[in-house]
Amino acid sequence: MNGTGLLKGLAITFKELWKKPVTLQYPDQKETLPPRFHGSFDLSPEKCIACGLCQQACPNKVIKVGAVKDENNKRKLASYEMEMKYCLFCGLCVEACPTNALTFTQEYELAKYRIEDVKLTLFKQEASSAGEGSENA
Amino acid sequence: MGENLFVGMAHWLRAWLENQRFLPLVTDVLLMLLAVVGVLAFLFLNALFLIYYDRKFGAWVQARLGPNRVGPRGIFQTVADTVKLLAKEIFIPNNVDRWPYLLAPVLIFTIPVMLFMVIPFGKGMVPYDLNLGLLYFVAVTSVETIVLWMAGWSSNNKYSLLGAMRSVAQMLSYEMPVILAMLSVVLMVGSMKLSDIVAAQQKVWFIFLQPVGFLIYFVAVNAEIKRTPFDLVEGESEIISGPYTEYSGMNFALFFLAEYTNFMLAAMMVTTLFLGGWNAPFGWTFIPSWLWFLFKMYFVISLFMWTRWTFLRIRIDQMLSFAWKFLLPVALVNIFVTGFGLYLYRMIRW
Repeated sequence: MNGTGLLKGLAITFKELWKKPVTLQYPDQKETLPPRFHGSFDLSPEKCIACGLCQQACPNKVIKVGAVKDENNKRKLASYEMEMKYCLFCGLCVEACPTNALTFTQEYELAKYRIEDVKLTLFKQEASSAGEGSENA
Repeated sequence: MGENLFVGMAHWLRAWLENQRFLPLVTDVLLMLLAVVGVLAFLFLNALFLIYYDRKFGAWVQARLGPNRVGPRGIFQTVADTVKLLAKEIFIPNNVDRWPYLLAPVLIFTIPVMLFMVIPFGKGMVPYDLNLGLLYFVAVTSVETIVLWMAGWSSNNKYSLLGAMRSVAQMLSYEMPVILAMLSVVLMVGSMKLSDIVAAQQKVWFIFLQPVGFLIYFVAVNAEIKRTPFDLVEGESEIISGPYTEYSGMNFALFFLAEYTNFMLAAMMVTTLFLGGWNAPFGWTFIPSWLWFLFKMYFVISLFMWTRWTFLRIRIDQMLSFAWKFLLPVALVNIFVTGFGLYLYRMIRW
């Protein structure tokens, strides 16, 4: 019959009226992220062997690994920088890392006030000024 | 308790003013001014709340939260919006017809204020009990068409003009079923005085005696106040915002407030005509009559919102053919049946 659809629609909206809102009050509440979420990066320098495989794996040439030879003629990490403005969070660097030194974090609010801050400095040798410009180290 | 709150206040105020040894004329004028200010305050506050309630209701239907930032549960959201609109520049485009353009938003708000004159808010709470209250109501609501036409024409904009034309077509077509549905009530009461209509519903509300009339009135008045299934006047997807397209700032806010005030008035009219006005159901007179009126009004408003957030906007030709080919014949048949029924009833009684 004509018009029964109208009543059906009214019934549906009436049922919806009593349902709980699904809205997440974002800045106050945050979503629980999956464990393998592709967020920002974290590097444990003691694990890193400065092999540069991540640098090789990166499709956008985001990663710059600086290495030095120490007194035992062994490769040692000197600096680890990521140009986050080009990063597409594909995770190839994390996959490539042979020692699992490079990992993802749950941090996803990566907007910055100044463009210089976008650059992520994960490691810098002690000798040159420590803790400068790094947001996430 | 509270039954005579407002009436008593008015009496007390009058007595106090008379004690101050003013001229009687001054007393009258002062009381009148106070009444007007009271009505305006009620109107504005209610319209503000209605906008908030409408947004909240839409949010509930769509499993959202709605406005919840300004004030507790977002109750001051519309106040903030209005303050923002007040602060905005009143922009007058180059080629508008200046006087009608500026007058339309002022006039559109005078209409609902005029309509409040005849509404029985509670026992003995009619601002002015006209003999032909219903006729007055219908006549004054029709004037709104002219104001919208003023706004649409003077804006000198094709969308405004189209919206205004639509509003005229819509008002003309839906005025018919509205009046016919009202007439079926008038037939039963035998009076156009709104307080008489309320008094006649002391025992049985007219929604039970006139279910078809109620449905016709409900649908047609929904179109009259331009709520969503019939909001072609400001169909955003087609004609931006209809007659309001060129308006900004407080001018726009006045249109918006007038729209919601008309909405409230329509709900009040449904309450008065079909839901027994301020009469308490089941003899629950411990709640004052004006509060009953407010409850019923908000119930009807919720019904309107329920339909608004359920149905989609229909096409202009569908809308007009619905009015002329469906609502009007049904309303005529309803009147015929009502008249016949009344005649039979009288024959049996006497």
